[in-house]
Amino acid sequence: MNNLYKTKHELWLKILFASFAIDDEKIKSRLYDFSQISFRHLKWISEKILREGKDYNYDRDMMLYKRENVFEILKALKEDIINTQKIYEDTELFSRIKSDEKYLLEFLDELLSDESNNQPVYAFNMQNRFENLDIESQMSLRMFLFEESYKEYELILVYAYMQARTNSIKQYDVFQDLVDESYFHLKSFGNMMAQMGILALPRELHELSYKVDDLQKFIIDGIKEEEAAKEMCIELSSSIKDEKLSKFFDFINNQENYHIELMKRLLDE
Amino acid sequence: MFEGVEVPEGMNVEVLEHLMNPHNYGKLDDANGIGVAVDEKTGEYTIMYLKIDDNLIIEDIRYATNGCQDTVVVGSMFSDMIKKQNTDYAQKAIKKLYEKLGSNMTAKQRVCADMVFTSFIATLKNFENLKNGKSEEAHILKMKESCETEEKTDE
Repeated sequence: MNNLYKTKHELWLKILFASFAIDDEKIKSRLYDFSQISFRHLKWISEKILREGKDYNYDRDMMLYKRENVFEILKALKEDIINTQKIYEDTELFSRIKSDEKYLLEFLDELLSDESNNQPVYAFNMQNRFENLDIESQMSLRMFLFEESYKEYELILVYAYMQARTNSIKQYDVFQDLVDESYFHLKSFGNMMAQMGILALPRELHELSYKVDDLQKFIIDGIKEEEAAKEMCIELSSSIKDEKLSKFFDFINNQENYHIELMKRLLDE
Repeated sequence: MFEGVEVPEGMNVEVLEHLMNPHNYGKLDDANGIGVAVDEKTGEYTIMYLKIDDNLIIEDIRYATNGCQDTVVVGSMFSDMIKKQNTDYAQKAIKKLYEKLGSNMTAKQRVCADMVFTSFIATLKNFENLKNGKSEEAHILKMKESCETEEKTDE
C-alpha cells in the first residue's frame, strides 16, 4: 500500500507541476483542476490506509518532466497515469479514482490530437520573462520562490497528515483551510518559477517534519514562520520595481495574517 | 546540468544547481551513522545519514532538512565533498568549505552551515556509539546558536 501511496503522491506532483510548466491558460487551468482531484485521491487513500490500521509516509523519488514542448510533457504524463493504474487495488475507491483519471486521459488525448497545442515550454530555460525586474529584484524573487515553494509544499503535506489523524471537527476544518491556502500559494509560486525559467520540484519531506509529537510547539513555531514569511513579503514588495508583483506580495503578506489567526484557533483547542 | 544554458546575470551557477537539484538529498536505509542537529528555538533541523565502511570510507551519504535554502545548498555541497572520502578528510572538509564560502557568508548563513556540520559530527558520534555497542537510533546535538538569534543580533 505504501508503494501505491508513494506513486500516487508522485502522480499528484506530476500533474500539478505539468500545469505550472505549460503556458497555455486553458491547459494550465484544467491540469490544475485535475491536480486538486488527484490530491483528494491521495487524501482518500490515506484515510483508507489509516482505517485499516496501517500507515503511510511522504517518501518519494521522482524527477520533474523537464521537456522542451507541451506534447512531450503530456505524453509522459499520460504514460505515468496508465502505469500508476496498473498497481491499483480492485476496490470501489480505486474504481472511482480510475474513472476520474479516464476523463483526464481523454482530455490529454484531445490535446494531443491538435498540433496547435504543441507549444514550446520555457519553464526550465533559466530565462526570466517578467518585465520591469532589475537584476537585484530577480535575485530576491528567485531566492524567495525556492524558499517558499518548499515551505508551501511542506505545509500542505504536514496539515494533511494532521488532518487525517484528528478527531476534532474544528481542527479538521482549520487544517482544510490551511491546506487550501497553501495550495493556492504553491500554485502562485510555481507559476512564477515557470515564468522565471527556474521551475523545480520542492525537495522531499523528511518524517521529522510531519510526525509531530507536540502540536502546541509545532503551531507556535509555525506562527513564527508565518511572521517571517510576512517579513519576506514586505521586503520583496518594497524592493521589487514591478507594480503588479509588488501588489501581489502585499496580498500574500496580508493572507499570512489570516493563516496566523487560523493557527491560533488550533492553539485554543 | 546547465550546459548550453544562459545563466541569468548575478546568479552563481553552482548555487543555482544545488538549489534546483540538491545532491544526496533524502534518507539512507542502510546507514550505520545517523545524526541530527536541531535548533530548538526555531524547530529547524538537519538530519544526516552515513554509510561508513571498515576502512572508514564514507560509502554513501544523505541529508535532509526543514531549514532554509542556505542549509540545503551547504548540505548539498558538503555531501558532494565528503562522499567516497575517509572520515578524517571529511572533518577537514568542514574547514575547506568554510574557507570557500567564508567571506561571502552572512552571520545567518554561517549558522545554517554550522547546522549541516553539526549534523555530520552527530553522525560520527552515532557511528562510534553503535560500534561501542550502545543502542542509539540517532545522535542528536542541539545548536548553540540559533539563526533567529543571529538575525536579531545583526539588526
